[in-house]
Amino acid sequence: MAAARRPKGTARRIGAWLRPVPYLLPAVAAIAAIFAYPLARLVRESTQQSYGGITTDVGWSNYQFVLTDSDFITAVTHNLLLLICVPVLIVLSIFFAILLHETARGRWLYTTVLFLPYVLAVPVVSVLFNYLLQLNGGVNTVLRAFGLGVLAQDWLGSETWALPSLMGVIVWKELGFGIMLFYARTLSLPNELWEAARVDGAGWWRMHWHITLPQLRNMIEFYAVVESITMLSWVFAYVYVISSGTGGPGTSTLVTELYVYKNAFGYGTNNLNLASAASAVLFIGTVILMFVNFRVRRVELHA
Amino acid sequence: MIGQAESEKAERRSNRRFGVVVRQALLVSASALALLPLYAMLTAAFKGQNDYLAHPLSLPLPPSGAAFATAITSGFPRWLVNSVLVAGVSVFATMVFAVLAAYAFSRMPFPGRGVTFTLMISLMVVPPIVMLIPLFELMSDLNLVNTYEGVIVIYAGLMLPFSIYLLTSFFNTIPRELLEAGSIDGAGHLRALVSIVLPLALPALVTLGIVNLLWAWNELLIALVLLQDDSKKTLMVGITIFQSHNNLNVPVTMAGLLIATVPVVSLYLGGQRFFVQGLAAGAVKE
Amino acid sequence: MLVSRRQSLRTAAALLLAGVPALEAASTQVARAADKTTLTMWWWGEQEAQGAQGWMNETIRLYEKAHPNIVINAVLQTTNGLVPSFETAAKAHRGPDIQYLWGGINSLAEAWPGYLAPISDYIPASELKHYLNTAEDTYNGKIWSAPWYTQPSFPLLYNKDDFKKAGLDPNNPPRTWDQFMAACAKLKKTGIIPIAGGLQDGFYGGWLFALLGGQNLDNAKQMMDAAIGKADITSSRYSEWWLKLAEMRDKGYWNNDIDSLQLYQAQNLFVQGKAAMTNVAGSDIRKFVKQVGINKVGVMRMPVFGTGKLANTFGSTSQTLAIPVFSQHKQEAARFIMYLHTPERMVAFYRETGSIPADDRFPQSMITLPQQKLIFNWMVKQGGPYLENFIPVELDSDGNFAGTQKLFAGDSASSVISLQASVLNKWHRTAPGEVAAFQNWANKG
Repeated sequence: MAAARRPKGTARRIGAWLRPVPYLLPAVAAIAAIFAYPLARLVRESTQQSYGGITTDVGWSNYQFVLTDSDFITAVTHNLLLLICVPVLIVLSIFFAILLHETARGRWLYTTVLFLPYVLAVPVVSVLFNYLLQLNGGVNTVLRAFGLGVLAQDWLGSETWALPSLMGVIVWKELGFGIMLFYARTLSLPNELWEAARVDGAGWWRMHWHITLPQLRNMIEFYAVVESITMLSWVFAYVYVISSGTGGPGTSTLVTELYVYKNAFGYGTNNLNLASAASAVLFIGTVILMFVNFRVRRVELHA
Repeated sequence: MIGQAESEKAERRSNRRFGVVVRQALLVSASALALLPLYAMLTAAFKGQNDYLAHPLSLPLPPSGAAFATAITSGFPRWLVNSVLVAGVSVFATMVFAVLAAYAFSRMPFPGRGVTFTLMISLMVVPPIVMLIPLFELMSDLNLVNTYEGVIVIYAGLMLPFSIYLLTSFFNTIPRELLEAGSIDGAGHLRALVSIVLPLALPALVTLGIVNLLWAWNELLIALVLLQDDSKKTLMVGITIFQSHNNLNVPVTMAGLLIATVPVVSLYLGGQRFFVQGLAAGAVKE
Repeated sequence: MLVSRRQSLRTAAALLLAGVPALEAASTQVARAADKTTLTMWWWGEQEAQGAQGWMNETIRLYEKAHPNIVINAVLQTTNGLVPSFETAAKAHRGPDIQYLWGGINSLAEAWPGYLAPISDYIPASELKHYLNTAEDTYNGKIWSAPWYTQPSFPLLYNKDDFKKAGLDPNNPPRTWDQFMAACAKLKKTGIIPIAGGLQDGFYGGWLFALLGGQNLDNAKQMMDAAIGKADITSSRYSEWWLKLAEMRDKGYWNNDIDSLQLYQAQNLFVQGKAAMTNVAGSDIRKFVKQVGINKVGVMRMPVFGTGKLANTFGSTSQTLAIPVFSQHKQEAARFIMYLHTPERMVAFYRETGSIPADDRFPQSMITLPQQKLIFNWMVKQGGPYLENFIPVELDSDGNFAGTQKLFAGDSASSVISLQASVLNKWHRTAPGEVAAFQNWANKG
């Protein structure tokens, strides 16, 4: 009976709307407070210029400056270059996870040690590497002691090596996370998975390429997303401490976060409006990038 | 003539021995690289200033506790408590909110679900520094600067997108059938969440818990800006300031860093087995 | 800015905002009685004048004893936190009652946007006239912050034994640039690093500018003219110093890790005997002399290549204390600042830090350390403006700091010189308010 069914349908639709509300409300409220309101404020202040209590509206000129500022472009380029770390991290962590899985002796010790860097605080790690990477610091001392002095570079002070060194430090620290993720995943896979291949005499590389890797696919995707976000948006502490706040030498380790920071709180600038414009650009730019990325890959919402 | 199978077995055995050697070598090298900075920190912390300047990388023989004596008089205990408080509460809140929200996104179809979800998790990629200025102004207006609550709310807000992303992805892998049992009304959902989904989601929860705790514990910038009151500084802020005051004295700096690192490392060492088991969720072959 | 310490993350929060739920009842702050006046001071200085913290504690104790209704809360700031914390506080109209600021542009950049109350309104002229180096803190006829201790900038320390070994006269250090280059060559031959510097944290770039950048100028105003665009900063008058630095770099007279060491770490090379010369903060000289040996340490002025009047002057500046405009206790704050200049306190400051108070009433006879006597004489008899205080701070950090790093990383002097122009260009485009005030200062003073 059509008449009786319609109210039911409406009720169900309303039900569908209302049911998630108590589940979503806390998270949405927190996110709105922490993201939506500040974004609105950023956008408003980015169109102004304040000095001495006088605020004038300057339209898009802050944006014009930021988007044509060679320093900003350099910073964005550097973040994109940092993305090179992601495939490196994936390959290395899978490799070591498999090694761990196949090793009986000392496995607990190795897993403990290899995950340790991830547990350390970034400022601590960065201070340590700031000492170790000096031209006459720990790393080069060790290299020279092993007769590999020709490999000793000015890791911190050379414009060529500063960014790669930074990448090295980040990889050093983030690797443990990947190793742990993949290692744990391999633990939950049944041994029989590889038995057949081993009996057949399959080579190590072939076996893992065809059997192990497909099993790790979801983990790889997850790890890739997390580390890519890290390279774009979560490297401030690394850069700040290792470069002693300068992004140097020159601007060779400048990243987008440091660009914002220097304009907002840098020695002598305190140009919050300019920093707000840069912030707004980064906020909106990165969210769009991420949004498109997820939509294109059709991140599944339901099983 | 030796049987084909036997010679193949012998070959595999020698291959395996060779493989073992190679594997051990690689793991040892990786471990050495992982430990080098820690070695540097430890040896420096136990040296006197002159000894350090003369031989930065050698073993401290005899070891000296002078650096620790200087370091330990700073506010480390207080900072530690503050960090535990801020990290603990914010992570707990985040987990609860994220579990609820992830369940809704995963199991409750509603109009606009796709867009809302994608938008929320896209926020993961916003650099925290970008939020710093307006957040400070917001907290300033609300009189929440120099309060634990202000920082806790901000931390929770910042951790939520990632948490929702991880949990929703995981909840999606739980087979429909397990949840179909029982009527799907309000109480049914909650019961399903607590009794079916959560236990199955243990590995994800453990991963998320670790990642969030580490993030909140290690977070520096927001804590630095919002908790300047000496009694409320977190450990990260404390050691950063400690470093800047003692940067001439590397052993003291290192001693301070070491003191700051010990809590997390001990926790890690103590709980590592549990973490790995939690992550592996199920068949753990040791 | 005369910094010699490495950076930490900045603190950008106002200190005094409230919010006291039960959660914070556990905070352990000493309870302040309601009828007392609390003065809060944000300061810096222990980092370049070792012992200042102890002296400050004692000073506060004595002052509080003499004035039972005053309580003073002194908070030591980090090098990078000093200015941002203050500016953030100023924008929120809440903050300290006394703010430490480096001199010159560092003080005026806070005065121009209206964050400071002119100190000359609260300290009588008869008193202020004794304070040294108030000229660099003067604008529109008012003095905006009160000099506290002097910062003679920058002596070049040299190891007399190293000089002897290289066949140089330890009592007659080089004065002209050619003599300097010759001396470096001789030192290098003996296998020692002629001069040590650390640029990784940037600040030494500002020091080098202060020592070399104005050698072709006759007064500070000429430097300011370049900043506001009246003169061309890429012209040889203003840029010759970059060429001189490049020359020294190419001849290998600096430590090879100059770009990977921080300022203080490089100074340690001198202390360890690995380098024959290094610049130090004037206020720090006693510490270095003590560490290396009073008979081994010679002091010289930066050798001269330029032909301007400033070439023969020794940079003289004072670090200052200012009163923020939002302070509720300005007169009380001023009284405390004046207390720092009382004879007993000044003598104690010198004794504990080895740093010379910025007051002409300070008895020079107290200065016994020969190295300090020397620099004090230079400061008094041949003192000149400390040039880093007369350029926009942005030019300092983006131009001098980054430029010296790039130069020593191998970039050409000409590329670094054009960097200066582009930094000034950015400053003009993005900080019109400050530019206008700076122009006013340059033109009218």
